[in-house]
Amino acid sequence: MSRIIEEIYVWRLPVRLYHWINALCIVVLSTTGMYIAWPVMSAPTGEAALHHSMALWRYFHYVVAFIFIGNFLYRMYYALLVKDDQYARFGGFRPWSPAWWGNPFKEQVASYLFLRDDEPNYVGHNPVAALAHFIFIFCGSVFMIFTGLAMYGENNPGGFTSTFFGWMLPLMGGSYGLRYAHHLVAWIFPFYVIVHLYAVFRHDVVDRTSVTSSIITGYKHKVEDEASA
Amino acid sequence: MPTTQTFAEVFESRGISRRDFLRFCSLTSVSLGLAPSLLPKVVHAMETKPRLPVIWLHGLECTCCTESFIRSSHPMTADLVLNMISLDYDDTLNAAAGHQLEEIRKKIMKDYHGKYILAVEGNIPTKDDGVYCMIGGDSFLNVVKETAAGAAAVIAWGACASFGCVQNAKPNPTGAVPISDVIKDKPIVKVPGCPPIAEVMTGVITHFHTFGKLPDLDSLGRPKAFYGTRIHDKCYRRAFYDAGMFVHGFDEESTRKGWCLYKMGCKGPTTYNSCSKIQWNAGTSFPIGSGHPCIGCSEPGFWDKGPFYTRLAEVSFLGTDTTADKIGVVAVGAAAAGAAAHAAVTAVKKQKAGNDDK
Repeated sequence: MSRIIEEIYVWRLPVRLYHWINALCIVVLSTTGMYIAWPVMSAPTGEAALHHSMALWRYFHYVVAFIFIGNFLYRMYYALLVKDDQYARFGGFRPWSPAWWGNPFKEQVASYLFLRDDEPNYVGHNPVAALAHFIFIFCGSVFMIFTGLAMYGENNPGGFTSTFFGWMLPLMGGSYGLRYAHHLVAWIFPFYVIVHLYAVFRHDVVDRTSVTSSIITGYKHKVEDEASA
Repeated sequence: MPTTQTFAEVFESRGISRRDFLRFCSLTSVSLGLAPSLLPKVVHAMETKPRLPVIWLHGLECTCCTESFIRSSHPMTADLVLNMISLDYDDTLNAAAGHQLEEIRKKIMKDYHGKYILAVEGNIPTKDDGVYCMIGGDSFLNVVKETAAGAAAVIAWGACASFGCVQNAKPNPTGAVPISDVIKDKPIVKVPGCPPIAEVMTGVITHFHTFGKLPDLDSLGRPKAFYGTRIHDKCYRRAFYDAGMFVHGFDEESTRKGWCLYKMGCKGPTTYNSCSKIQWNAGTSFPIGSGHPCIGCSEPGFWDKGPFYTRLAEVSFLGTDTTADKIGVVAVGAAAAGAAAHAAVTAVKKQKAGNDDK
């Protein structure tokens, strides 16, 4: 048996809200995005002008995309400008410093590769998780937002969005290359979701830190093994 | 032909009425997207400024651009167009040939130094000192460099000169490059398409003639007036797209009904051109109008983004041709398999650790 020796409030409400809005957005955006790339619903009958099947899929993709962007900006605001939430500020994430790639990172990698027996434990994200979140969620989102807005701007050339994000087009070798990149990079999200869910469940089983429920309740637990009576 | 004549004088000498001359001016202004208040400026320029001498060079190409150009309908006849722009050198169309013709080119380059327009059709093979395209005993690479030196502006006419096109496709054995890779110090306007629309050419020249500078260009160097919107945005089949009514095969009822060709690989949504507005051969038709999906011939790299009849291109990835979806599915599958394997090892290890404790 083991008992809880400490309860730590890690994920505050704004972080939890961000997480779930983001998760929902990613699911809807992936689904509607893949549908737009390959529309499978059968054609409606009657006058084309009276139906908006494809237009609605695209519309939902845009609406949810803007929620996704707003949510992302809100998370950046919370991380950079709200000073008192140490677990939400990416404070320990310093990939530019060689020290960051030192022992804590190496130990965590070794642990994931079964090269050591103990499991390093962190209250916030461990260094490997932080790196994964940075690559997939931060860089991935920024890339999808920029390419997405560049494509959205194509609906109204010379308009606000096309003026500020149109520079992505020549960078990607034109409109087609832009779509291709957006479509290809979209696949990192289902990839990431699988890895993320697996890592969370595994940590819960191995370290028993309540990491799975912590994103609902906000609390992580430290547990201590008790000698069985 | 003396190039001191104005456009208006040419029109007059050919028996074209002033009414038709004004009609040409207004049609060209409209297609360039100029404000109505600028029409008098266009007319004035056409009446007073001497015609622009144009040197038209042909490189590595199939000449489909010229075929399209000589079928220009606004202004009305090809004959008129050719006189309008004072096309003093065009090795495909000129009656003269050989040394006589090359002398004309040299003369224009000298007499109108810094004033003539250089139109380049086809691209430039650069490999092995440009030996794969020889003109009059010299490589096309040298001819272009020499002629561009005194040009006021360069028009890259067609997909080859603009972006490279078929000769530039992998593996590009002749090292063919678009004009912008060779000429860096001149204003270049790109008029891509395979072939481009003839009216775009006359529009660009009229603009240059009137205002003394090239029209507004988009981020890929194409005139905004003609390449400002996607074919998709002005496509007459757009209603079928929005409704979700798609053609799935060329032998289907939906094809006869003229539904949207999106799922047949139509590149209309990613192609900037005026095909769905101006169309070809005096507004007769354009590919989508004839039931064929757009292949995106005015976009960079279209030749390497096949197959044309699927939505997602196959690109070289790790040495094999594959689509974004195939890469994605493999990556996600690998993640799932990796997670399962990792879970299994974790379980075995835990089991072992548990046994050790006992």
